[in-house]
Amino acid sequence: MIGSSPEIELEEGLEGREFVRPPESYWRQSWVRLRENRLALAAGGVVLFLAVVAIAAPLIQIPIHYGPLQQDLTDNFAPPFKAPHWLGTDELGRDVLIRLVFGARVSLGIGFLTVLIATTVGTAVGLAAGYYGRWTDEVLMRIVDVFLAFPAIFLFIGMSILFRPGTLTLSLIIASVGWAGVARLVRSETLTLKTRDYMLATRSLGARDLRLMVRHLLPNVLPILIVSASLGVGQIILIAAALDFLGLGIQPPTPSWGSMLSNAQTYFYHSPWLVIFPGLMIFITVLATTLFGNAVRDAFDPRLR
Amino acid sequence: MLGRYVARRVLAAIPVFLGVTIVTFLLMHLTAGNYVPGLALNPDLTAKDIARIRANLGLDRPLYVQYLTWLGGILHGDFGTSLIDGTSVLGDILGRLPNTLELTGTAIFMGALVAIPLGVVSARRRGGALDNFLTLVSTVGFAVPQFWLGLLLILIFSVQFEAWHLPWLPSSGAYSAFNGGGPLDRLQHLILPGAVLSFFYISQWSRFVRSSMVEVLSQDYIRTAWAKGMSERRVTYLHALRNSILSLVTLVGLEIPGLIGGGLVVEVVFGWPGIGLLAYQRALQYDYTVVMGTTTFAALLVIVGNLLADVLYAWLDPRIRYR
Repeated sequence: MIGSSPEIELEEGLEGREFVRPPESYWRQSWVRLRENRLALAAGGVVLFLAVVAIAAPLIQIPIHYGPLQQDLTDNFAPPFKAPHWLGTDELGRDVLIRLVFGARVSLGIGFLTVLIATTVGTAVGLAAGYYGRWTDEVLMRIVDVFLAFPAIFLFIGMSILFRPGTLTLSLIIASVGWAGVARLVRSETLTLKTRDYMLATRSLGARDLRLMVRHLLPNVLPILIVSASLGVGQIILIAAALDFLGLGIQPPTPSWGSMLSNAQTYFYHSPWLVIFPGLMIFITVLATTLFGNAVRDAFDPRLR
Repeated sequence: MLGRYVARRVLAAIPVFLGVTIVTFLLMHLTAGNYVPGLALNPDLTAKDIARIRANLGLDRPLYVQYLTWLGGILHGDFGTSLIDGTSVLGDILGRLPNTLELTGTAIFMGALVAIPLGVVSARRRGGALDNFLTLVSTVGFAVPQFWLGLLLILIFSVQFEAWHLPWLPSSGAYSAFNGGGPLDRLQHLILPGAVLSFFYISQWSRFVRSSMVEVLSQDYIRTAWAKGMSERRVTYLHALRNSILSLVTLVGLEIPGLIGGGLVVEVVFGWPGIGLLAYQRALQYDYTVVMGTTTFAALLVIVGNLLADVLYAWLDPRIRYR
């Protein structure tokens, strides 16, 4: 079971001999496994670096001397790899590098925020459905089915037009579909956990529903949540970038990688770097989060033990 | 027995379909409300005219009446008329459907055609150089944004090839405006968007076939087949592949909704006149009867697709009990 390894009782006379591995917690084992995976460490390093860049964007702006919205119409379409604009400028003479740096805030922010919202809501619904069963389960799962039946992109388009999103609203829009998958996952896990003896034991000690769910079910669902969350971030960044690209996400002039790409479509016949760099950033970010997510799954997923 | 199973699944799908229509309707109502495109912009219309147009469209009636009218229409195959050009929504959808199916159908077909052998080869030589390489390719396929890949392909095969005086590929549309529409012309237009979309399916499904093959290859009956002295070819393709294809059937079934919505972004990038492009363009114009129509139509296909996948799986796999 998760959380403890079975203690092996020593026979008399064998005491004192050091042949029993000291009990290690599930978390420690998983962490060690993750640390041994070099690819995972590299990918995690990239994610961490991007996160630092995103957070420190206003500081990075200082040595670059350009702001993300600062225009210079005398120097538009400047080609890359030359000082002072190392990644070139766009049609308004805005520095591509600093816009990419600020774009990282949007992409990573939405990625993590959406996962947080979807996981929280999905877990609550999944726990309730799995724990209470019967009609609660029926009703909640039919609602989940409805949300999973939509081709998500159509819902996103409808809602984006409704809300004209910023970072928070875009996260809410994407999470409004994402929670359903999490709910289904948590529910099925709860159904198996519910029948375990320790649940019966705790209940017979007088624990209430809420306590059982939060203190006894939730910790055991946590590993699966970590796995689904770490695999979800990359896909959400992709979806958000696609919506930005369609003009339905973060609105200009706020720099986001997707909207920079859709802007560049008009000019890419003569300024291909405007297309290449933002796409490359999306690709690297999603690749790193996905690789890290895969490693987290290999290390943490109790079903792969 | 199979009949009862199908009946149960169909019954279970009905509330889901109703839920979908309710969510779609409420969402569009919240988005557009009583908005009618162009109405507020016309200075010749008096308040009375506007009220009369609204009444003609039925927008003055209570919400539930509007919903039930709309739902009733759908059940009779009437998705209403476009608010922009007054054409039948179902007609618009059906008019675009062949283009969308041409694109996504090709992508899904090519995806399965390439993914199955790749997955089989990976599974047979697990951990080998080819397997590792294919793992890398499929991870890339997961991480690369489709619209970016599309733009890069346009940049290379349309823009640069033309600059280099090579035979270049068209970057937009489903056929040429002049003297177009022939099979060869359509094929040329299909290559780039088709490639982007099939790359996506290949990277997903090849992993799937691989893991399913790995599982099947470790089973007892495979060992028996080896023990009988069967050739590697026969064991792999005749015994193992047949059983791992089973799970791919479900996966492809689940991709039936992708036939409509999965190509939306690619359709926009390549100006492919399909349902996705229709929904996207009309959404920007607040033509919400069309948006509601395409969304419901696509969701209906999802539900039917899931149903088909379930039934097909139960029919193919005798281990599934008809509950």
